[in-house]
Amino acid sequence: MNTDTTMNEPAPVLKLTNLCKSFGGLQATRDVTLRVMPGDRKAIIGPNGAGKTTLFNLITGIHPVTSGQIHLFGQDVTNWPSHRRTALGMARTFQVTSLFPKLTVIDNVLLAIEGLRPTKFVMWRFQSSYKDVYDKAHTLLEQAGFLDRKDTEVRNLSHGEQRQLEIVLGLASNPKILLLDEPAAGLSSGESTEMAHFLMKLDPTLAILLIEHDMDVVFDVADEISVLHFGELLETGTPEQIKQSTRVQEIYLGTD
Amino acid sequence: MSKQTIKIAAVVLCLVALAVIVPRGNSFVVLLVTRALAFAILAMSLDILLGFTGLASLGQAAYFGVAAYLTAILANRYGFGLHWDFWLMVPLGMLTGAALAAIFGLFAIRATGTYFLMITLALGQCVWGLAYRWNSMTGGDNGITMKGGRPQFGLDLTNDVTFFYLVFAFFAATLAALYVLVRSPFGKSLLGIRERELRMKILGYNVWLHKYVAFIIAGAFGGLSGVLWAHTNGIITPETVVLTTSVDALLMVVLGGAGTLVGAAIGSAIVFGLREFGSTLVPWWQYVLGAVYVLTILYLPMGLMGVPERLRQWRATQKKRTTKNLASVPS
Amino acid sequence: MTSILRKRLAPVLMGTALAAGLAMAAPAGAEELRIGYLAPLTGGLAQTGIDMRDGFQLYLDEHGGKLGGMDVKFIIEDEQGKGDVAVIKAKKLVLQDKVHMFIGGVLASTGYALAPVSTETKTMYIPSIPAADDLTQRQLKDFPYLIRTSWSSSQPHHPLGQWACDQGYKKITTIAADYAFGYEVVGGFQKTFEDCGGKIIQKIWPPLGTKDFGPFIPTIKADVDAVLSLMVGPMPAQFIKQMRGAGFKKPILGGGTSYDEFVLPFMGDEAIGDVSALHYSAALDTPKNIAFVKAYRAKFGKVPSYYSENNYTTAQWLDEALKKAGGKFPGPEELIKIMVSIKLDAVRGPVSFDDMRNPIQNIYIKKVEKKKMFGYEKDELWNTVIKTYPNVSQFWTYGKEKFLAQPVYNKDFPPCKFCE
Repeated sequence: MNTDTTMNEPAPVLKLTNLCKSFGGLQATRDVTLRVMPGDRKAIIGPNGAGKTTLFNLITGIHPVTSGQIHLFGQDVTNWPSHRRTALGMARTFQVTSLFPKLTVIDNVLLAIEGLRPTKFVMWRFQSSYKDVYDKAHTLLEQAGFLDRKDTEVRNLSHGEQRQLEIVLGLASNPKILLLDEPAAGLSSGESTEMAHFLMKLDPTLAILLIEHDMDVVFDVADEISVLHFGELLETGTPEQIKQSTRVQEIYLGTD
Repeated sequence: MSKQTIKIAAVVLCLVALAVIVPRGNSFVVLLVTRALAFAILAMSLDILLGFTGLASLGQAAYFGVAAYLTAILANRYGFGLHWDFWLMVPLGMLTGAALAAIFGLFAIRATGTYFLMITLALGQCVWGLAYRWNSMTGGDNGITMKGGRPQFGLDLTNDVTFFYLVFAFFAATLAALYVLVRSPFGKSLLGIRERELRMKILGYNVWLHKYVAFIIAGAFGGLSGVLWAHTNGIITPETVVLTTSVDALLMVVLGGAGTLVGAAIGSAIVFGLREFGSTLVPWWQYVLGAVYVLTILYLPMGLMGVPERLRQWRATQKKRTTKNLASVPS
Repeated sequence: MTSILRKRLAPVLMGTALAAGLAMAAPAGAEELRIGYLAPLTGGLAQTGIDMRDGFQLYLDEHGGKLGGMDVKFIIEDEQGKGDVAVIKAKKLVLQDKVHMFIGGVLASTGYALAPVSTETKTMYIPSIPAADDLTQRQLKDFPYLIRTSWSSSQPHHPLGQWACDQGYKKITTIAADYAFGYEVVGGFQKTFEDCGGKIIQKIWPPLGTKDFGPFIPTIKADVDAVLSLMVGPMPAQFIKQMRGAGFKKPILGGGTSYDEFVLPFMGDEAIGDVSALHYSAALDTPKNIAFVKAYRAKFGKVPSYYSENNYTTAQWLDEALKKAGGKFPGPEELIKIMVSIKLDAVRGPVSFDDMRNPIQNIYIKKVEKKKMFGYEKDELWNTVIKTYPNVSQFWTYGKEKFLAQPVYNKDFPPCKFCE
């Protein structure tokens, strides 16, 4: 809630220190060090198999790290389970849409809102009796332009709509940092532009860490771009710098 | 909201009809419906796991059986639970079921899918083994016949009709309680886990804990079912806790429609009906039951509760076809 | 709204309609003798159940479907070999079909399950196979409507223990299925064998349904004079094959079900010479038995087992009793009184009731032999009677009071004093 205090805090929202991960013999993440400050808009790019999603899975606690540390809001969360990290104010979306397909749009959002509320354990009252949660879901859906489809089962939405809903779910818990895993994956170029605009309109105090393949979206949204190659951060700079970098063009833009 | 009201009204109407019609039937029908209702509580408890949480448990008979044995043992040895203290036996049975589920859950909840199935199966069979081998306590193969009959506390439950009303009341209460549960924030979280467990973790849910709590709740209602079953049948044998009982419950849920609660009850009614009457009519009744199961799984993945939905889809395609045909008729 | 109604209401209504439909299906009562018959017709015991039913049916067919002049309505229910199923089926027979009596069950546990139903519903129950000792011993007082036309588990095995002792066997190992029936068979054998001076030096309990005796056979002590086995269902044939295959050369004795006519056809020549005890043998050389075996075999294509004979005799006993009652059902207490007073010349030999409603009957010590009998062409295994103990009661020679003062035979009684 209190974005102002975070603003004033010197501590970074997310800090990765010498993060490593290997699967058997494969080193998927090598010595990654990264800081995300409040309100930062950072992107990580890299060719397929560079270890981008693995990095997200480490940050969100889906995979345990091999070595290194993860700090969220100044706390060492390296060995925390996912749900506790989320509780600190982190949210993420998935490259492959991970919604609740047989539930309605509003039920999806309600689940996302309840995730960080103690009432999620209440079993003697109807969910529908929690008016505040409902109102919040309404507001979120209204903002995203989903209100007319709130009772549609998610599996009946179009792919583009599902990608958008992914982000709505990410925002539902009022996170202070949002990890977006290829939000424009599988979208048409028109839809991608729409997605970029949607992202640019988000609360400016919200920190965003973005993995993306679609360079237009990246250049629109991010202030700073890092290049990941074979699990290693090669270069970091402004969109302009990255565009100019010959090294990046060699390993990434050139091969794309 | 009005949708909900209609659904609830429909179910209440059917329950009232059941309560009015059944006692007018012959006494065997009363007994049969009582059995189906008592067992339906077990099936509904399993539906919480299978239909709402996505956990296919093959060990639900364990809680049912332990509570049933406890009821029979306490009644035969100490006369406990045969008078007003029946009202203590009910929560005690539920607690026992819950406690056993709390222990089993520690082992089972870690696993998913087939592994969960196998672990619950193994744990369930442990209880069966105990019932079978612990002769001095359970009577082994012979089981326990409840010598004291059914409880009497102002109400004389030895009367089959009175007992039917009691079981009916427990059934209705369970249905109501579980209905509130599945529509509560906690119940919704179970649906989320069923649909996409990873997302739930990322949304801040302690998925393990939610599953564990659901497992314990299912155990408690399994225990309730067991207490009633002991008094319905008057005899508890290892057959009561064997794998087939768990499988029966599972098939009832699938037959009626997983994730609907009412479906579990309908499944129970149909299986009991087919079994008791089908077996009298035709010697190959088991194949009938088998065919019903297979056809349900193949053509009605939503179970019998999905039949109207199927019919509507069918009618819609029919309509489309006729309009198409009409359009193609040259004018 | 109507669509919602249809969607949600229809299945629920269907269920209610089903229940209502069932409620209407009540039977009408006619003047006839209605007998409910419980036998396993599906599951592992199905073949036993068919033997039972065929035995009863044969008597009915031979007597124009009448017992004591009454038309019999014979209602068969499948009890699946499970006690709790038997209970609900019995209740169905009593409540819905309004039977005058119910007969049957196979397992001892089913007998224990059904007896309380007879008390509760005040309906006559004849356990025509279930042999649990206490049904007609320590628990009989709880079952006023029960009368047993078959046997008690330990009844044939008291004489078998005596006989084994008389053969000069000193040390015997028992190997028996691990459940109540096994305990009672072994208990009866041990009691008389040890009272006579023998020693049971080892008791082995493979689980019910064991087919691989590999882990058990090597543990049998080398210095025994003989082994007593009690097997049921598919176990006996496997047990003998594996025992002899393992090179065991000493005599093998068997409890009744180890070598009855039900399992003999599944056995090979390795069974020849083994000795068992029971209250019936199909090889009994009496005109009555020869006629029975021939009629049964002609009709059903197999040699009758004690399952068949016991039920045939049950029908015969009822026939005589109902004749005496004047061709009508006189009520359960009265009919039981009449039955108890009848001494029957049955297929298995002379039978009568003791004062605890269990038969007093001949016990046959039988040896498996391969030969032709009764004019049949082929060489077959038969249970040749080598000794008859006449008029054996369930209390053997101990007397009722003394016998009932001891606990029912179980895994720990009689204690295994000589086990090392």
